[in-house]
Amino acid sequence: MVSLSRVNVKGAPRLILVFTALLFSSLSLFAQPNGEMLFKGNCASCHRPTTEPLTGPGLKGVRERWAGNEEMLYQWIKNPQKVLSSGDAYANKLYSEWKASGVMPAQAVSNEDIDAILAYVEAYVAPQKTIVDEGDGAVAADVDNTMWYVITALLLLILVVAIFSLASARRAMAMAVAREKNKEYDGPNTYSEAFGMWVKKNQLLVIFVVVACLVGVLREGWYGLSTVGVYEGYKPEQPIWFSHKIHAGQNQVNCVYCHNSAEKSKHAGIPTANVCMNCHTAVSKGSITGEKEINKIYAAVGWDKETRSYTGETQPIKWVKVHNLPDHVYFNHSQHVVVGEIECQECHGEVEKMDVAEQHAPLTMGWCINCHRETEVKMADNGYYDEMHKRLTRDELKKYLNGDEKITASDLGGIECAKCHY
Amino acid sequence: MASMNKKYWKGLDHLHNTEAFTEQANKEFSEEVPVEDFLAKQGQDSSGTSRRDFLKFMGFSITAATVAACETPVIKSIPYVNKPEEITPGVANYYASSYYDGFDFANVLVKTREGRPIHIKGNKSAFTGGAVNARINSSVLNLYNTARVQQPVINGEAASWAKLDAKVIGELEKTKAAGKRIALITNTIVSPSAKQLAGDFIAKYEAVDHVTVDSVSYDAIRKAHLNTIGESVLPYFDFAAAKTLVAVNADFLNDWIYPSAFTKAYAKMRKPENGLSKHYQIETNMSLAGSNADVRMAMKPSEEGAVLAAIYNHIAAKTGASPLSVNTGDWKEKTAKLAKDLYDNQGASLVVSGSKLTGVQEIVVAINKLLGNYSKTVDVSSPILLSQQDDTKVDKLVKDLNAGVYGAAILINTNPVYQHPAGDQFLKGLSKVAFSVAISEYADETAANCTAIAPDHNYLESWKDAEARLGELSLTQPTIQPLYKTRQSEDSLLAWMGSADSFHGYMKASWGKFHVSAGLLGLAEDFWHQSLHDGFYKYSTGTKTIAWVENWNTGEATIAVKALQKNAGEGFEISFYHKVGIGNGNAAANPWLQEMPDPITKCTWDNYITMAPADVEAMGLNMQIGQELPASVVRLTVDGQELEMPVFPVPGQTAGTIGIALGYGRGANGEKIGKSAFQTAPDGSIDIDVNGNPKAIGSKVNHLQAVVNGSLVMAAFNASIADAGKEYPLACTQTHHTVMGRESVVKETTMGVFAHGHKHDYNHSHLLAVHSEANGAEMKPVTEVDLWDAHPVEGVGHRWGMSIDLSTCIGCGSCITACHSENNVPVVGKDEIRRSRDMHWMRIDRYFSSAEQEVRDAGGDFSYAKLEKPEDNPSVVHMPMMCQHCNHAPCETVCPVAATTHSNEGLNQMTYNRCIGTRYCANNCPYKVRRFNWFNYKAYKKFTEVNPSQDEMGRLVLNPDVTVRSRGVMEKCSLCVQRIQAGKLDAKKEGRPVKDGEVQSACAEACPTNAIVFGDLNDSNSEIRKMADGDRAYNVLEEVGTRPNIYYQVKVRNAEHSEA
Repeated sequence: MVSLSRVNVKGAPRLILVFTALLFSSLSLFAQPNGEMLFKGNCASCHRPTTEPLTGPGLKGVRERWAGNEEMLYQWIKNPQKVLSSGDAYANKLYSEWKASGVMPAQAVSNEDIDAILAYVEAYVAPQKTIVDEGDGAVAADVDNTMWYVITALLLLILVVAIFSLASARRAMAMAVAREKNKEYDGPNTYSEAFGMWVKKNQLLVIFVVVACLVGVLREGWYGLSTVGVYEGYKPEQPIWFSHKIHAGQNQVNCVYCHNSAEKSKHAGIPTANVCMNCHTAVSKGSITGEKEINKIYAAVGWDKETRSYTGETQPIKWVKVHNLPDHVYFNHSQHVVVGEIECQECHGEVEKMDVAEQHAPLTMGWCINCHRETEVKMADNGYYDEMHKRLTRDELKKYLNGDEKITASDLGGIECAKCHY
Repeated sequence: MASMNKKYWKGLDHLHNTEAFTEQANKEFSEEVPVEDFLAKQGQDSSGTSRRDFLKFMGFSITAATVAACETPVIKSIPYVNKPEEITPGVANYYASSYYDGFDFANVLVKTREGRPIHIKGNKSAFTGGAVNARINSSVLNLYNTARVQQPVINGEAASWAKLDAKVIGELEKTKAAGKRIALITNTIVSPSAKQLAGDFIAKYEAVDHVTVDSVSYDAIRKAHLNTIGESVLPYFDFAAAKTLVAVNADFLNDWIYPSAFTKAYAKMRKPENGLSKHYQIETNMSLAGSNADVRMAMKPSEEGAVLAAIYNHIAAKTGASPLSVNTGDWKEKTAKLAKDLYDNQGASLVVSGSKLTGVQEIVVAINKLLGNYSKTVDVSSPILLSQQDDTKVDKLVKDLNAGVYGAAILINTNPVYQHPAGDQFLKGLSKVAFSVAISEYADETAANCTAIAPDHNYLESWKDAEARLGELSLTQPTIQPLYKTRQSEDSLLAWMGSADSFHGYMKASWGKFHVSAGLLGLAEDFWHQSLHDGFYKYSTGTKTIAWVENWNTGEATIAVKALQKNAGEGFEISFYHKVGIGNGNAAANPWLQEMPDPITKCTWDNYITMAPADVEAMGLNMQIGQELPASVVRLTVDGQELEMPVFPVPGQTAGTIGIALGYGRGANGEKIGKSAFQTAPDGSIDIDVNGNPKAIGSKVNHLQAVVNGSLVMAAFNASIADAGKEYPLACTQTHHTVMGRESVVKETTMGVFAHGHKHDYNHSHLLAVHSEANGAEMKPVTEVDLWDAHPVEGVGHRWGMSIDLSTCIGCGSCITACHSENNVPVVGKDEIRRSRDMHWMRIDRYFSSAEQEVRDAGGDFSYAKLEKPEDNPSVVHMPMMCQHCNHAPCETVCPVAATTHSNEGLNQMTYNRCIGTRYCANNCPYKVRRFNWFNYKAYKKFTEVNPSQDEMGRLVLNPDVTVRSRGVMEKCSLCVQRIQAGKLDAKKEGRPVKDGEVQSACAEACPTNAIVFGDLNDSNSEIRKMADGDRAYNVLEEVGTRPNIYYQVKVRNAEHSEA
């Protein structure tokens, strides 16, 4: 049912589709109620399936607590106000204990649903904490690299020392030989003389090496320059060790749940701390960093864990921006996400597998243009493009199609300067 | 061809074709870069740096820069902790609000980004119909003026609000106890809630006199109605119903009473297709309204009464009323034709006058009465509530202040020390008041002389309501948190009344009461929210029957006319006016307005004496003013006061008169009103006068206004002018970027030709001689001859275009400042403008014209110099000019790096990052609309004082969707491509075609007369398509074959003299 709200109802075929979907979804009403689904849908925002309290008490063992008065429990869940006014002692005790949270709202559930929920709660076992720490692995790799550099440097040093010692040994021997033979020593006296004589002897080789080096330097320089300002793989340390892998990967939180302006604005938006609190009022302990990082959110929004209330003292979180475009480039997320229907991952990589977010694409103009050249425009069922099509005469359409059947972004002027630079 | 017998020239230099002009005209940019000047200033030529050292430094800095460039910059990104629901970063919000500063009023929409206002445009659905003038749409920049008073001040020292409140309440109680009176001096309060609040305040402290002091008084009109209909009202003048319109010294398009509403209404009668109104303007200076008149006549201020008396006598003769017994001289003859036109359009005509004399205004009332215009074009049932100053009360206030009647004074948003002609007297009186507190945004001329200052919010930070016209309620809402420790005036009054209420609550309650008293349906809360959303609420006021006083006593009228005539003498008569940009001087520190060229003189950043060219020539003063041609300075003596000012010759100025703008010379005693109100030296620093104060721009002339028959008039008489033997440079855009006299630039015709003729008569297309194998020699329209392959924009996709109607364009310059604000155009300052390096993407060319026929009769010598002296009273054409987005753009073909290219939507695109600054494009542009970015305006010290983007507050006004250009690139009108892209994206996201009118360029949106129409030429149902296909549509310089996407509409003037 949830997914239906995103279906754009247009035309008869779609309506049929919707009705079919409705039919199937209503069919599911006849199936066994799913305790977990019901719990998450109705109860989870205030109750935990354990004994730990949240906005309301933990639900584990609720049947025992209401023992002997089961009928009242069902009524309590379905209409707490009524039970309270009936003067039930336990209900009133509960109310006075949880006064701060207010009276629980009435839940639209049947008795079977309640049974399913309570069965789920009773059967619920908190998952074991599995500490997956690949952060250390990455650090280790870094250390390995430096070690390799050190070893190479050491080897090079040894090689140089060896060459020098060999040369000096050779000279000493040559001098000794000359002395032995009472001949004037005519070999090199210094290292530079020795080198000069060696160069004279191997002119061809030297020229080759010099030219090769020069070409190499120029080539590296050229490519090096073209990477200036390109920060592919940029992965700055953030003020909060936030893991996309946990949120988008394991917990399957939709990207636009947090980055919600990606569908409306040019900025995808860094989620404001109040968005974090939608879940983190309930989740106060992380599986990797424990309470340390989540406490930073609490500090930012001014959430007092003890009293479970906002103190009003806030401190904005200073995130480090990962994807930086130059100021003279206009990029609009909503254009690409809503109109282009591009998955976030196409530009941002597999964020759901990254702990710390990093820049996946080079974000160079060439990269943009390549995509605009290759990507077909999603024209179907868009009134805007229908109108644009209408304005094309048959011959002109051919001009756009140049050989293939694809109308790419660039065919519609998507690589013109003033589409992004103004 | 009767319509085309005109020559146009851009100024006197053009007309006389001086050597300097010709040289200028042949160059796109003036090239003299004063390297020595600015290097010498920095002492570089005398320093010990040798070439070798220089190379070393350079080598080091290049290396350093290279190393620095390789480091990844760390950019912090700080989201909201708790995001306000209505704000999405990157998406603009619009709030309905209204602007009122005691001088201008308009309903506006405020565009905000991430909670800060960045652009003001008109609210099209409200009373002023979306009309905003340059002063109003530039007002957004005033919010970020760092010279605003940032916390309460007592005796020149910063204080807390608690301390100030205690002090004020204490002083007020003390005054009351001592038996002295309290003066509550405000500008006109148009807010019904604030009026009620003032009443409450008076009730609380009892001994309070509320006096309204405005910068301009319209008391004469109110008094005239008091004498004739027994009610002191300022009627609403309906220009939209006036088929014949006569305005005597009333610049209703610029500053007269309620210009935003009048402009909108006037424009409705200026579309030739719907029938043109006939607009007569009789005036002293060439005003904005005068430049749009069909028939313009020159008069002296002393003739003001006689002109109206002459008109009255004509009408009276026709209607059988008794004439006025005054000598009207040759005006009897001159006004005969217009009087006939007025009489022929009884009930659909209108006579308005800017006179400050009650007697003269009584004549105006009498004329309109005889013409049956009351309840038709003159509405007293729903009168204007602006400008409520009562002159007698103000005079009494000044006297009482000096007599020591008052023990305390509260001044709210009024600056009489500067604005009132008797400002010095007022100041003297103010110093005799034991305690005075000014509620003001600035420590201006008045506030700086008060004991305490309670800093006011900017209007963009305040809650206010307004009723500019009876029955027309408007709301102002805050669009940003207060930037400084300020408090809005009404909240201060509430605090001093000991109330804990906020004005927001107070106002809401009063709207609640209105909701009940008006008997409206629904909830008061809903009514409030709907009104706040719309920004306005209109209620019916009913129709009032006018109780005319029997037997109009013409005594006062004749006395007034004669009193004025008595002032005619040998000397010069001065007519004071308000400039379109600076107005009454409230926004003198607004650099956008200072830099906006005056619609008539095209001068920026200065005040000057305007004089008839014949008078200037007779005195032997400089006639040509340009980059290296300064203006002559004269010593003006009037009523014993002396003043030195430069002289600017303006065609159309009445001979024997001079014009001087009010609103200049602000901050002359070092008052902090903002950096841009002061003169800057060529190196960019603020010029200091002998007293160590910064030199104000222009001179204050408010105190020169004369008193005639007991009333202050916006004129002075018997002035003498003597050459001071000095020269002074003026920065004018007038003679820059000429169109080289090509007649295909401006097309003009008369109503007769337009109504009865064929397109060919007034808008013929150009023919070219073509030879082909098949047909031999033949003449072909330019549109059929082409050197290039056509760009595939006709009928394909979008093709953005614009139509500019020269008939309805009044030249007000609202589009210039709107473009400035939208496109982050840098402010360059006077010195750069003088060097022709203005950066406006859009300019308005002003062409004076003359009847070529007269030259023909005189022998047909068509050299400029031989043209008859038509500058005596020329007609004027205002022509907005910006990039024409040619489909065959000459600039595109010459760019060596392809930095300017054509888009498939018909736009001529400028890519700053590719541009290497060869300026070939600008040289090849026939329209001279490209601007070269000479300096790093956002950082270079020369522009620190003038460019708002150089301070941390001024920067907040920049539009984040438009690049701030850097030095060394070309820039020009982009047709607001950022708005086009945004409009298309909205349509794509919603899966629908772009609606006509949905995408608007900033200039089209700002145009108060809808002269600029923007849209998609490929949308066959669009307004722009219809305009472009219309008979009046033409392209400028069509014969060049550039195929522009900008169309102009032939100007149609409702004039007879060339109807032959």
